[in-house]
Amino acid sequence: MASISLKNIVKNYGKTSVVKNIDLEIEDGEFVVLVGPSGCGKSTTLRMIAGLEQASSGDIVIGDKVMNDIEPQHRNIAMVFQNYALYPHKSVRENIVFALRRLKVDEQELQRRLVEISEMLQLEELLDRKPADLSGGQRQRVAMGRAIIRDADVFLFDEPLSNLDAKLRGHMRTEIGKIHNKFGRTSVYVTHDQIEAMTLADKVVVLHDGYIAQAGTPMEIYLDPVNIFVAQFIGSPSMNIVDATLHNDYLQLGEHKLPRNKLSAVSFDDEIPSEGQPVKVGIRPDFFNDKKYFTQSDSSFIFEAMTIELVEPMGFDKEVLFNLAGASIKARLDLRSDVKRGEKLDLLIDLSRVLLFDTNSELRL
Amino acid sequence: MSPLERAEANFAWKLVLPTIAVLSLLILYPLLYNIYLSFFDVQLNGDKAFVGLGNYTKLLANPDYYSAIGTTALYLLGTVVGTTLLGLAMALLLKDPFPGRGLVNAAIMLPYVAPVISVVFGWQFLFDPISGVFNYLMVDVLHIWTERVNLIGDPDSALGVVILFDIWKHAPIAYMLILSKLVSIPRDQYEAASIDGYGPVGRFFHVTLPELHFVLATVILLRLIWNLNRFEDVYLLAPNVQTLPIFTYYQAFTGVIDQGLAAATSVIQLGVLCVFIWFYIKKVMKW
Ligand SMILES: Nc1ncnc2c1ncn2[C@@H]1O[C@H](COP(=O)(O)OP(=O)(O)O)[C@@H](O)[C@H]1O
Ligand SMILES: [Mg+2]
Repeated sequence: MASISLKNIVKNYGKTSVVKNIDLEIEDGEFVVLVGPSGCGKSTTLRMIAGLEQASSGDIVIGDKVMNDIEPQHRNIAMVFQNYALYPHKSVRENIVFALRRLKVDEQELQRRLVEISEMLQLEELLDRKPADLSGGQRQRVAMGRAIIRDADVFLFDEPLSNLDAKLRGHMRTEIGKIHNKFGRTSVYVTHDQIEAMTLADKVVVLHDGYIAQAGTPMEIYLDPVNIFVAQFIGSPSMNIVDATLHNDYLQLGEHKLPRNKLSAVSFDDEIPSEGQPVKVGIRPDFFNDKKYFTQSDSSFIFEAMTIELVEPMGFDKEVLFNLAGASIKARLDLRSDVKRGEKLDLLIDLSRVLLFDTNSELRL
Repeated sequence: MSPLERAEANFAWKLVLPTIAVLSLLILYPLLYNIYLSFFDVQLNGDKAFVGLGNYTKLLANPDYYSAIGTTALYLLGTVVGTTLLGLAMALLLKDPFPGRGLVNAAIMLPYVAPVISVVFGWQFLFDPISGVFNYLMVDVLHIWTERVNLIGDPDSALGVVILFDIWKHAPIAYMLILSKLVSIPRDQYEAASIDGYGPVGRFFHVTLPELHFVLATVILLRLIWNLNRFEDVYLLAPNVQTLPIFTYYQAFTGVIDQGLAAATSVIQLGVLCVFIWFYIKKVMKW
C-alpha cells in the first residue's frame, strides 16, 4: 500500500508532447480514475507510473521512493492491461500465480490465495485451460485475478473493460468496485468511459490533450466543471451548451430572460461582466423537469410551451429534444411524463444548476 | 462425416490428385527403386544378381560404417547446436530496430547465399598450413601455437573445420527464421512479465522461449534433415571427413563400385530419418 505522487510529469515522443506537466497526488488506498477522450495521454501516464515508459522530465514517487529510474519489476505494482496480455503458453492457474512464483511464496499460501481469488472471480472451472480457450469476459477475469492475487503497493488498470460487451462491462464494473472496497488498495484506473469514472472513483482526474483539466470527486466534477470540455465530457447525455447574452439583471437566452441573481457564480458582485457580454450557457439534460410533476421553488425557472421535436423512450427515462435559442436541446424526463412528439411542454429548471462559461476561454464564469 | 463434408473431402482429393501423381513419380519411384537395388549385387554393365540381405550384412560387418555413423553423429550435434545457438544469439542481439539494420541483415545472409564452391576455397585458403591466415594468427601473432598445423589435412581436426564451416554458412538461415518469430512476439507479454516481477532472464525463459519453441524445433528439424544428407560442403572442403553420405559415395562410385551396398546404406539412413522425424514431430513439435 502506498501513496503516489506525480510531480511535473512531461512525456515527449520526439517533438510531440503527449503528457504536458501533470501534477497529481494520490493518497494511500485511494481509487483514482484518469478519464479523457482517446489519445489524451491516459495510458502514457499510467505506463509511466508502471515504469513501462520513462518520463521525459518530472518525478514519480510511490510511497516515499522516487521511482524515476526503477525498472517495472522492482516497483511492486500490479497492472491489468487493456488487451489483458495473458501468457498464451501458461494455464489460467499459472497465469494467475506467475508473480507469486517469482516471489517464492510458499506453496500452501499460494494455493490458499489461488482458491480465494478464483472463487471471487468464478475461475475455478477454468484453471487448467489456456487463455486461447477462454471467452473475452473470462480472459478479463483472469487478467484481474493475476493482478489482485498480489500484495502490490499500487494497482493499475488500463481500460480493463473496454473490450467487453455492455452487460458484462456493467457487471465487472460492479465487481471491481467491490474488490476495491474489500482490499482498499491504491488504484489508478484509466478509462474513456465517464460512467466508469463516476461510479468507481474516489477522485476523478479529467485529462485533456496531456493536461489535467480538472481533478475532484465525481460529484464535484459533475456539478462544478471548470470548463466546457469537462462539462461536456462528464455526464450522459452530455451537457447542452447554448449561446446567450449577459445583462445587468438577467441572462438573455433566446426570448427567455433568466433572472441573474438566482444564477450561481455570476451573482457575485465583483465578478459581474459588462452589460451585453456574450456567454455560453450550460444546462445538463438531467436538470430539466416536466413542470406538471415538480413543485416550484423560488429558484425555479420555467421555459413555457416548448415544442417537443423528438421523444426517445429509454425505459425509466425518456430523452426529449426541443429548440432553445437556435440550439437543439436535450432534456431527460422521468417516466411519468407522457409527452408526444409535436406537443408543447412546460419545462422547469433550477437556476442554480445553470452554468455560465466564457465564450472565448470556455472557462466557467 | 456429413454428406457435405464427404463431398468436400472428395473434391479436395480430386484437387490434389495430380500433384500427388507427379510427386509419386518424382520421389516415390527413385525411392522404391533404391530399396529394390539394395537387395541386389549390381554389376557395372547393369546386370543384377539377387543377394537378399547380403548387402546389409556386409555393411553391418564393415567397421568403417560405424566410424561413419560416429562422425555423422558428431557432425550433426556440432552443426545443429552451433547454428541454432548462434542464430538465436544473433536474433536476440539484432531484434530491436537500428539504423542500417537492412544492410547488416544482408551482410549476415551473405554466407548462406554465396555458392559453396567459391566459399569452400576461401576456407581452405584460410586454414592452409603455409600461407593461411589462421595459422599466421595462431603462430606468428598470438603465439598460441608453436608450430603450424594442417587443420584440414588431419581428419580429426578437419571434422571441426567442417562443422565450423557449416555453422558459418547456415547460422544466417536460423537467424532469419528465429528473428521473424522474435519480432512478432507481442510487446505486452514482456511488459506483463516485468510487472509480474521478472527481469530480462526471467522474461527470456517465460516469454521468449515458449514463443520460440516451435520455430526452434523447426530449425533443428530442418538442420538435422539437411545435414544428415549433406554432401557437397563436406566433400569439397575436407574429403577426408567421412560422414554417411560421403561414405556412401565412396562405396558406390569409387574403387570397387558397389551400387547395391550404397543403396543399402541409404535405405538404412532413410529409415532412421523417417523414424526420427516422426518422433520429433509427434513429441517435440506436438503436431
Ligand atoms: N510510442 C509512441 N510514439 C509516438 N507517439 C505515441 C507513442 N505512444 C503514444 N503516442 C501518442 O501519444 C498520445 C497519447 O497516447 P495514449 O496515452 O495511449 O492515449 P490514451 O489517452 O488514448 O490512452 C496519442 O496521440 C498517441 O498517438
Ligand atoms: Mg489508452
